[in-house]
Parts: sequence; structure tokens; C-alpha cells
Amino acid sequence: MRVEFFLLIGALLFAIGCAGVLIRRNAIVILMCIELMLNAVNLTFVAFALENQSMTGHIFVFFVMTVAAAEAAIGLAIVIALFRRRRTTDVEDASLMRW
Amino acid sequence: MDPVIARVLVESAVKIALFFFILLTVVAYMTLVERRVSAWIQDRQGPNRVGPFGLLQPLADGIKFLFKEEVTPPHVYRPVYLLAPMLIFVPALVTFSVIPIGPALELFGQRVRLQIADVDNGVLVILAFASMGVYGIALAGWSSSNKYSLMGALRSSAQLISYELAMGLSIVGVLMAAGSLRLNDIVQHQIEHGWNLIWQLPGFLIFLTAAFAETNRLPFDLPEAETELVAGYHTEYSGMRFSMFYMAEYANMVTASALAVTLYCGGYHVPGLHLLRLPEPAAALVQVLAFGLKVGFFLFLYVWVRWTLPRFRYDQLMNLGWKVLLPVAVLHILWVSFLVLMNWT
Amino acid sequence: MTIHLLLGLVLILFVFAAVRALAPSRTLLAGTVLGIGALALLAVNYQALLSPEFWAGLIGFVAILSALMVVIHPNPMVSILFLIVNLFCIALFYLILRAEFLAVLQIIIYAGAIMVLFVFVVMLLNLKAEEGLRLGGGPQRWGALLLAVVFVLLMFHALHDRSDQPYVEPGAFESGFGSARALGGLLFSRYLVAFEAASLLLIAGMVGAVVVAKRKVG
Repeated sequence: MRVEFFLLIGALLFAIGCAGVLIRRNAIVILMCIELMLNAVNLTFVAFALENQSMTGHIFVFFVMTVAAAEAAIGLAIVIALFRRRRTTDVEDASLMRW
Repeated sequence: MDPVIARVLVESAVKIALFFFILLTVVAYMTLVERRVSAWIQDRQGPNRVGPFGLLQPLADGIKFLFKEEVTPPHVYRPVYLLAPMLIFVPALVTFSVIPIGPALELFGQRVRLQIADVDNGVLVILAFASMGVYGIALAGWSSSNKYSLMGALRSSAQLISYELAMGLSIVGVLMAAGSLRLNDIVQHQIEHGWNLIWQLPGFLIFLTAAFAETNRLPFDLPEAETELVAGYHTEYSGMRFSMFYMAEYANMVTASALAVTLYCGGYHVPGLHLLRLPEPAAALVQVLAFGLKVGFFLFLYVWVRWTLPRFRYDQLMNLGWKVLLPVAVLHILWVSFLVLMNWT
Repeated sequence: MTIHLLLGLVLILFVFAAVRALAPSRTLLAGTVLGIGALALLAVNYQALLSPEFWAGLIGFVAILSALMVVIHPNPMVSILFLIVNLFCIALFYLILRAEFLAVLQIIIYAGAIMVLFVFVVMLLNLKAEEGLRLGGGPQRWGALLLAVVFVLLMFHALHDRSDQPYVEPGAFESGFGSARALGGLLFSRYLVAFEAASLLLIAGMVGAVVVAKRKVG
């Protein structure tokens, strides 16, 4: 299997996730698009680990998954706290500190 | 086509068909077993009209469900509503596919393992698909647009993920003793060093409790309690879709029992069988039957406990999962590391 | 090669039509016709079923399609379901890339724990579909799309000629590559400090999440 194929899929997924973060307004969907970007990066790591015959790529993926789990938990906790105050998950409405 | 690929495909197809058929038959007859055993516990007769000893009752029930009208309420979110019953079945089947029901034997000139998939990470596959089991319930409750279903689904999902932790930690004890993630290696280790039931009794009890909670069976069945939440997450389902939930619960029970047998009770091992010096096919048959009997015992235990113990209240349930089982499981891991260090297992 | 692309494209259109199966029945009819066409093409050219490139391409198409649906679909719960499909596709990719332990870990952690968290939050907050999917910002969304397109073009340009990199034979690894044993060996020797720091991070995450989401009494 050519490694470039997986790198391209990773790049496409990253671009889709990035566009999603910028386009969507629902805070939860934004967090999901962040997870999408992290997965794309994981895929790239694993592809390069295969090409260079080194397990360091797998270790990186392991830690990225750990950090992603912690970050998703805290992000969702923040969304819940925000929802309690404002009854909406729309990030456009969380504009109290905007100019 | 490459003959090796052809052989693998044919072998896998036959095994999948066979296991699927066995699992579904056992699930169908579990409904009858449940009703007869509960009747026996309650000192009455169960269904005994349809066929000798009521043995054709599951067939009658199946026909009834097929002909029942499927009422789809208008307020449900249809795509997810239709998807949920299918989602709930898959984890039980996939988990069952990595469990070995007998030793490897020579069939038609090939060495055949009595296991659909002999993956190197068998235990991890089990944990993975056990955690996928949450989705069917959560989505069924959410898509029903009904506050009782939502409550039932939330409670059930919280219960499932809480007890997954205790189950995983108790499995870690088994892994440490066996030194491998393959289920065949775990069974082999138990054949050589004695069943894990003896050495790791606390882990076994934790696993059994967690398995009861994971399959939503009494005393942990508050999410679907008839007296509390109408019918919990499957309130809005009727007909064949409801029977899918019903069957999925029994399929999960069978899988959990098979897991308990494989991880703690030696799998297909019959102690002392090698003394009889039977020819290989006969020995394999005896071991497969022994596996079936052990799984049957655990299924009977499921039914027995259901009709004996009262239901836990939800906060008692969560208390048990987090404040009791989790610390005991961690201490159990300490105990198993001591065992492994002293080379006693 | 082109037949593979064509098959992949037709199959993807079929999947998309199945996804829109509850739209007016014309879509379903068109989708069914295309699906039958795809199966006919496959039957004629069944060698494709055995090649790993076909399956990798198919999984890639499904991954990208589900990622697009995550971003596009207005209902957050359906976005979560499509993200789960995407995570499964990535787990399949890991299996192809000989990272078996990571594949199962992906399903346990991402699809089995993180996504359950998302499902919980959506169920608790009882989020409905956004009406009409008002997309964020005026110039922002066009900037986002432009950025995404530029990024993809850049990646295509960077990757289309990697002939200076060594080509690795698929069988050229020691047998334990990607296994739990190899990963565990590395984790507990070279990367031990990072491992312990990760456990600290998880504790901090747990406590932090409980504290932030707690209902303040009084």
C-alpha cells in the first residue's frame, strides 16, 4: 500500500474538520470537528510509522488519543456550564466579551 | 482464486453460519428457560402446552411477534429509531465471535480452530464491542422523543459505562496471569495452571457483578423496569423491533456467560479428560459439550438471581459501581501482581 | 486504476442515496439503480474485490463522506453517528497499516468512550436540529472554504512525487510490529515519563470536568 494514499486521506479529513470548526455554530459540533482533525493527524502518524518502520508513531498516537479524551471531557463540561447560563450552545451567542 | 484465500473464506463462512445459528437458537430457548425456571422458583408450572414440555413455545412466540402490528409513533426521529434495534444486536454477536468453544482439531485434513476469529487482541475486541453496546440503548431512548424513554436510556448508559470500568479491571487480572491478549492463550494458561476461578475469586465476583450490570439484568435492571419507567428505553417499540431488544438482551447474556466461562472457568477444559485417552474428535466433542454445560450453568445463574433478588435503586447501583467495585478491582490487581511475582500462577 | 475509481464513485453515490433514503422516493429509486449498477460492475470485474487498493479506496471514500456529513448535517446527534462511522473507518485504516493494537484502542477510546460522552451531552441538553443551519459569520465561512481548498491543493502538490523516499516492502517488518507487546515495551521504557504525565493529565481532566460541570448549590 502506498503511504501517500493515507497521507492524502489524512489531509482531506483535516481540511474537512478545519472547515467544520470555522463554519459550524453549535459548540458540540465544533468539538466533534476538532476530534476529526485529531484523528486525521493520528492517521498521518501511523502511516509514517509504517513507512519508517518505527513504533514511535504509534506512541504518539497513543498520547494524542489520551489528550483528546481529556480535552473532549473538559470541553463538554464547559459547554454544559455555558448552556446552564445561556440555554443555548450557539457560540455566536457567547459574545459577552466581544467589542 | 488463490486456494488459501478460498479455504479461509469457506471456513469462515461455515463457522459464522454455525455460530450464528447456535447463538440464535440458544437465545430463542432462553426465553422458554427463563419462564420455566422462574415458574419452578415460584412453585408453579411454566408454559407446557405447546409441544412436549413446552419446547415449541419459542416458535409460537416468534410467530406471534412476526404477526404483531408494528406501530411507529409519528413523533420519533425515524432514521435513528429504525437503526437502534439493529445496533443493539451487533456487539453481542461480534463479541461471541472471538470466543473459543473447543480445542483445535483436525477436520477434513485441516487444522481448524473452533473459533471464528483468533485475533491477537481478543480481549481488547471484547472490551471494544462491550463499549459499543451503549449506543443501541442510548439511541433508542433518544429517538423515541419520550421523556420516560430518555430517562431510561440515560440511566442505562450511565450504568453501562460505570460497570465497564470494573469489568475491564477484573479482566486485567486475567491478562496479567496469562501474559497474553489472545483468548486461546488464556484458556491454555488455565489448563496448565488451574482455573482463574480459584486464584482470582474476587476478580471473578467483580466480573460477574459487572456482567449482570452490563446486560441490564436484575438486580440492575432499573433502566427497563416495568414498574418504574413504563418500559424504559424500549417503550415506543412494538412488534418485531421490540423482539429485537428482547433477543439482544438474551444474546448479551449468552455472550457474557461465555466470557465468564472462558476467562475464569477454564473455557472448554475438562479436568482429567486426558486420563481417559479418547481419540481426538471424541475428546473435542466432550470439551465442546463441557463448554456448553458451563455456559448453561451461568445462564441458569442469571435467571436464578433475577427471580431471587430485588432491584437496586439507581443511586445504590451507581454507588456500588464506583465506590465499591472499582476500589476492590484495583486491590484485586494488586493481589494478582503479587501472585504473578511469586510465580504461583 | 480508473475502473477502481469509477466503482468507488458509484458505490459512494449509492451510500449517499441510502443516507438520504427518507427523502422523496425519486432519490431512493436513483440510488437503487446506481447501487445495482455498481454491483453489476463489480460482478464483471470481481478481481477488484481481492485487491487491497480497492478496499482501502472504499474505506477512504466512506471516511471522507462521513466526515462531510458530520460537518453538513444540522442535527447534532446524526453528526455524532457519522463521526462514529468515520472513527470506525480510521480504525480499519489502522488495521491496514499494521497497527492492530491502535485499531482496537481507537474503537475502545474514541468510538466507545469519547463519543458516548458526546451522546450523553446531546441527550442531556436535549439539542434539536438547528433550523436551517445558519452557518457562522459572513466572510468567515468563505475564508474557511478557501483555506480548506488551498490546504488540500498544497497537500496534493507536496505528495504527488515522493519518489525520493524509500519504498518499504510490506513484509519487511519484525513480526511484533504494531502489537500490544511492542507498544507496551516502548511505553514502559523510553516513554515512561510521558506515560506517567498522561495519567496525571487524565486525573486533572476528570477532576476538572466534574468541577466545571457541577451545579453550584446555593
